Amino acid sequence: MDRECVSLLPGVCEVLADPGTSLPDDTSLEKLLDWFTGLIEAGGSLLEACPCLLEFISTVVHNTASDPGVLSFTLRLTGLVSATEDGFKMLQERSVLNEVFNLKHWQEAGLWEDPCLRIGWIQGLRSMLQHPEALSFFVQSAFLDPLLQLQTDTSLFVASAANQMLAHVLLFFQPVSSPGCNGVDKKAEDDGRTHTSAEYTAVVTSISQYLKESLVPKENTKHHQSLQILKLLALLLAKAGPPLRDKLLQTVGDSLEELVTAGGSELTLPLMDVVLAAYSSGTDERVTRLLASMLNINKPADLIHAAAAFLRRGRCDAVHTARAVRVLLLPLDVITGQSLLGTNTTADAHQVSVVEQLKSKTPCISMICVCLTNTPQIALTPSGVLPCPPVLIITAVLSLLSICSGVSSSSSTGSSEVYRNVIGNGKVQKCALEALTALSSSPGAMEKISEVFTVLIQYLDNPDSDPTVLHKSYQALLKWTSVCTDFSLVTDHLRHDLIEVVKKRVCDMRWEVRDSTVEFLGHLTGVRVSLKSVEVCDSSDVLLGVCSTTPLLKEALQDSESYVRASAIAALAKTLTHSWQQGAALTQEETEIVSRLLEILSQDTEGFPRRAVVQYFISWYSSNSSHLPLSSSGSSASLLMQCVRSVLSQGSADLDWEVKVHTLELAELLLDETFSAHQGYRKGSDAHRAPSHPYGVVSEQAHTLHTHAGTHTEGTESDLATVVEQGVMSALLSGLVDCDRPVALKACRLLITLRETVCTLSLGTLDATASMATVSCKLPGLGWGKEIIKILRLKRSDRAREADIAAQRNLSDADEGGESVSVCEALRLLGLDERLDVLTQSSDHIHNSPLSLLQDILTASAAHTQPGEEVIVDCY
Amino acid sequence: MKLYCLSGHPTLPCNVLKFKSTTIMLDCGLDTTSVLNFLPLPLVHSPRLSKLPSWVSKDGTINLEKELKECAGRVFVDSQPEFCLPEKELLDLSTIDVILISNYHCMMALPYITEHTGFTGTVYATEPTLTIGRLFMEELVNFMERVPKAQSATCWKNKEIQRMLPGPLKDAVDVYTWKRSYSMQEVNSALSKVQLVGYSQKVELFGAVQVSPLSSGYSLGSSNWIIQSHHEKVSYVSGSSLLTTHPQPMDQSSLKNSDVLILTGLTQMPTANPDGMLGEFCSNLAMTIRAGGNVLVPCYSSGVIYDLLECLYQFIDSANLGTTPFYFISPVANSSLEFSQIFAEWLCHNKQSKVYLPEPPFPHAELIQTNKLKHYPSIHGDFSSEFRQPCVVFTGHPSLRFGDVVHFMELWGKSSLNTIIFTEPDFSYLDALAPYQPLAMKCVYCPIDTRLNFHQVSKLLKEVQPLHVVCPEQYTQPPLTQSHRSDLMLELQPPPMPYRRCSVLNLPFRRSYERVYIMPELANSLVPSEIKPGVSLATVSAVLHSKDNKHTLQSVPKPPPAPPSKKRKRVLDEPPLVLAPKPLLSGAVPLEAFLATLQKQGITEVKVEETADGHILHLQAEDTLIQLEEDGTHIVCDNNEPLRTTLRDLVLRFLQKL
Repeated sequence: MDRECVSLLPGVCEVLADPGTSLPDDTSLEKLLDWFTGLIEAGGSLLEACPCLLEFISTVVHNTASDPGVLSFTLRLTGLVSATEDGFKMLQERSVLNEVFNLKHWQEAGLWEDPCLRIGWIQGLRSMLQHPEALSFFVQSAFLDPLLQLQTDTSLFVASAANQMLAHVLLFFQPVSSPGCNGVDKKAEDDGRTHTSAEYTAVVTSISQYLKESLVPKENTKHHQSLQILKLLALLLAKAGPPLRDKLLQTVGDSLEELVTAGGSELTLPLMDVVLAAYSSGTDERVTRLLASMLNINKPADLIHAAAAFLRRGRCDAVHTARAVRVLLLPLDVITGQSLLGTNTTADAHQVSVVEQLKSKTPCISMICVCLTNTPQIALTPSGVLPCPPVLIITAVLSLLSICSGVSSSSSTGSSEVYRNVIGNGKVQKCALEALTALSSSPGAMEKISEVFTVLIQYLDNPDSDPTVLHKSYQALLKWTSVCTDFSLVTDHLRHDLIEVVKKRVCDMRWEVRDSTVEFLGHLTGVRVSLKSVEVCDSSDVLLGVCSTTPLLKEALQDSESYVRASAIAALAKTLTHSWQQGAALTQEETEIVSRLLEILSQDTEGFPRRAVVQYFISWYSSNSSHLPLSSSGSSASLLMQCVRSVLSQGSADLDWEVKVHTLELAELLLDETFSAHQGYRKGSDAHRAPSHPYGVVSEQAHTLHTHAGTHTEGTESDLATVVEQGVMSALLSGLVDCDRPVALKACRLLITLRETVCTLSLGTLDATASMATVSCKLPGLGWGKEIIKILRLKRSDRAREADIAAQRNLSDADEGGESVSVCEALRLLGLDERLDVLTQSSDHIHNSPLSLLQDILTASAAHTQPGEEVIVDCY
Repeated sequence: MKLYCLSGHPTLPCNVLKFKSTTIMLDCGLDTTSVLNFLPLPLVHSPRLSKLPSWVSKDGTINLEKELKECAGRVFVDSQPEFCLPEKELLDLSTIDVILISNYHCMMALPYITEHTGFTGTVYATEPTLTIGRLFMEELVNFMERVPKAQSATCWKNKEIQRMLPGPLKDAVDVYTWKRSYSMQEVNSALSKVQLVGYSQKVELFGAVQVSPLSSGYSLGSSNWIIQSHHEKVSYVSGSSLLTTHPQPMDQSSLKNSDVLILTGLTQMPTANPDGMLGEFCSNLAMTIRAGGNVLVPCYSSGVIYDLLECLYQFIDSANLGTTPFYFISPVANSSLEFSQIFAEWLCHNKQSKVYLPEPPFPHAELIQTNKLKHYPSIHGDFSSEFRQPCVVFTGHPSLRFGDVVHFMELWGKSSLNTIIFTEPDFSYLDALAPYQPLAMKCVYCPIDTRLNFHQVSKLLKEVQPLHVVCPEQYTQPPLTQSHRSDLMLELQPPPMPYRRCSVLNLPFRRSYERVYIMPELANSLVPSEIKPGVSLATVSAVLHSKDNKHTLQSVPKPPPAPPSKKRKRVLDEPPLVLAPKPLLSGAVPLEAFLATLQKQGITEVKVEETADGHILHLQAEDTLIQLEEDGTHIVCDNNEPLRTTLRDLVLRFLQKL
């Protein structure tokens, strides 16, 4: 522990123990506890390091006038301290434990009413219960009964904590030898196992007895308790080893069966959780029976949820799975009239009640959505279990989609009374579209592709489809396109319709729709499909024709909404990637696009499109360089290099930090390209990826460059000159002094890489270094240039030991014309390593340290004691 | 109370309500769908339309060379277009006292009703309804008169001949009632009979009923009507809308407690949601302009066009259409655009508040100011010199049979770059396009009908809870083409009463009360007696005076002091004069107590028989029957007047006298 902290802690304890003081903010106690927990986890003994805590605990406990928050803190702190056996013993010797956790004491003081204190009591005990002695203390103090009472506390947080605590007691101390038990501390293995077993058994017996008695609600109103117990049981059964599990099931089995038979609607799902937890940890006759009756309960809505819960667990059991599948498919069967369940529907006695339920709107929609969500999984179940071919499920979903949009065919035999509930319902539409997307990978899906396209295009065309429905339709279309193996199934007619609808949607009034459409166009070109005739090509070429995408996207560059412009730029990059990779000649259209993009970069008022522009050039550069050496005089390459130069200069002067970071990524690509052949050059992508900053920009794709074979050092000088000439150096230097930390960090790392490559000061390469020194770059006399010059002069003067302040002032007031500096000198003088250290630290590292926390507490109390002097503490 | 239904068109109604001695016509809509059977009237000589072959029946027996022409595989009447009028034979139109107009779409038949029928009543309408209605009529007359067609085709209407005709002509109904357009003179005369009313203003009709218009939210000045007497209330709901467009919102609460609600003018496009259609309109428009084509929007000169322009105002910039010219061509374009800006009090709250800024309530003012929207009375004149393509043209008539739209159809129909976007729901777009086929131009159908849909109307009816609903029969079943959509019909309890053209409905409520006033001096003379707590009764002898459907009770004039000369007659007159009114009896005779009383009188042998209405007492010794019933008591005893009187007095003892 930090010595400074240790010295401050007694003061802090004093402050906390004083009922009159106020804390800087309500999270400081939590932060203190976190700090203590960290210390214990690091293996330290809290009491040894800070003996003042013991004093603090006993003082506070006796002072019932203390703030409940501080009392709760004290309880939890006591728990933390006594989590180790040594700590426990020490507190026990001072008989602090009995006082701290003494229920009567708190009740008499009238403090027990405060939920804050109750939760402190529970959490303190929970922290303490890490060793057998603690369990003995727990049992001897007869804490079990009050804990069981707290399980149904009026405060939900207290009740939940009590539940967690009960689970902890049972699970933590269960015999370790049993296979499959978790959460047992290694230490518990060596000592006291036999010692605690008697107490443990007693605890198990009384808890399970309690569960048995309280599980079935006495009156209809007392669902709360049953609910809590079911939650606890689910927790226990999921983690319990065989002896505990068996014991629990043996005790509560009858009550569970009673509850299942009673069929209270509110309890169905928690009950199903319990049954499934028991079922997944081992099967016996009783559990199987329980499960079977859960899958046969009489209320259609509950039944569907139970069946869905079972299916989600994914434990295959042919009989029950078949049952759950039938339950889930029934509503779909009823509405669409597709005989998903075969002809033998008489087996489903509850069909009538399902039909009745479907006639009222709310249950109808909720039931259908549950069914739809599960259809993809159902379609993947083995054919022996499935009552129909998986293709029929797709047909049913398609039919439901048609019904939802109001155009259902009259041949459908489904119940027309149910139709009106789903016609035009966005929720069902979305669920069905999601299901359809997922169903694309089910067996035999391909034969449906034409119908799927028809329905999806109809959705895209429907004037009433809301933006999210349209978005989901596009996603479904993309997914089905990507799995499609035979495009001859998509007729010309459908393709024509798709082109028309896409053309219409890029002109939609709602920007969300235009955005989804533009995005769709981009993704579509990204989907590579193989055709029988041609080997590989864009799916957009297949579906929309070769020349329709780009003009639409070009038009979207003018969109009034910035998101749409940004999506259009990204989509254009995707569309053109292929031709870049093949090194195709530059078209007139592309030239126009490029000049429009540069215009956006320099003039657009919104950040998103500008970011997208820089990324566009990143992907152009990375696809292009794989084929063409940059020196080649192809028109495409020369335009690219021209653009790169202006992107670097404009991007690094942008106001948006993400644009700047992307610009630096482009600079990084240039460096990689130029220096990858040099010895000692570590690619930026290898070197700096490691600690990603929480706010850092994650580039969408990892750009890898093909490098020239062989290594050479002799060209370093000219390479460096090229890089400087391209404007990379300016971008990096301006980034270094940027006020946005991610920008500065990125620039700093790149500069270090560059320094390590070009300025290695070893004797062997002295000549090279000397010649390298001649490469210089021009710094502007304003803005970042001025700042860099200032740093450089300061360092130079430091070196020359000319600490004359006046001279410095003269220097800083230097001419505004800027100056040229040697790149190598600059790299060495800028103090990049120190900068990197500073930049790597999170910006709030000072405010988050324990020291600052302790100081805050002290300062706040000081302010409190000296009225008139107000200290405002910033809370972030 | 009776309802005579003169029109079968659910959104262009014409009904006559007979209610308490008044005869009220509710709307007089003109069904213009009949014009679809006629050839378009080209504004500029069209070689194509002028060289059409005449239609000759297959066997060659019928040859109406001058009247019927074959065009694009269909037969059209070559004559000035004619309209289907409301039924005139169902009742004598001269008996109509008042006509209530609900909106300007529903008054286009007015001149046919008010002129040449002997109509002498008054027409009630709001100011915008009258003004815009006049514009519509003017436009219609203008469209017809500027392309005069000498001949009028009548032969084809002959029943024998019509039966032999192909296609839709054969199935056209009531072709004999079809009439050519009226003249401007008739319009002026008809509109001079209009009296202006404001929302919630109460108009007394002959003291019998009170009528009052309510905002219906559908168009500028559109109204629903309340027709009520003291004890009955009839609501007439015509085109109404709950959407937030330009007009004042609909007044729903005043429709509560109606005995009968006559429901007409629901949306004609129940499956086309106006918002979706507006989006569709904009995206198709932008798509066409971007591809270098022109957009033609056949529309009426008022109404939805305001909303379209407002929507485009916002859309133009986002879709980069800033430089595309928008033209609005109609003889009344200028008036329509300007009038819309001055009816502030009839606009929705949002637009009303703009007036105080002060700003024009509709943004089309700005479009005009910035030259983005230009309006012209016709394609002739200035327009031809300013015309620039690609452009968007709004012009009428939506039937594509007359008006400037015909010219643009001829001009743009051949290019697939151009698009025609139908926004008015009144005409089937396929029928409208029939004489222009084959057509290369793209057609988009996005009918914008803001009137109530079935979902909204069932919610409305649930709230206002009328006792009975009367509606066109079309609303009581799903649309023919979508028989599975049971959500597209009215389902009510009790079921609505459907009507069709020429139906006469007896509206299902009996008038059971009438308000009668009592003169103060008469009221003063009354002596009420309380028969049960809170209920007092008094007998009145008075003279009932009825005038102008108002009833008053006045004191009986004192008989003039009898002149002595008439003394001789006195003997004859005396009985009626001295006969003081007998007290009115009330109450019931309790059986047990009555029997006890009889016993006291020595009547002991009583046999009591229970009947459906009460009891029959048989006094066996006296051979007398007493029938005690709920509303009467009879004593049947032969030739024993003293006994009868005794028994009568015994009975009276148990009754209260007034």
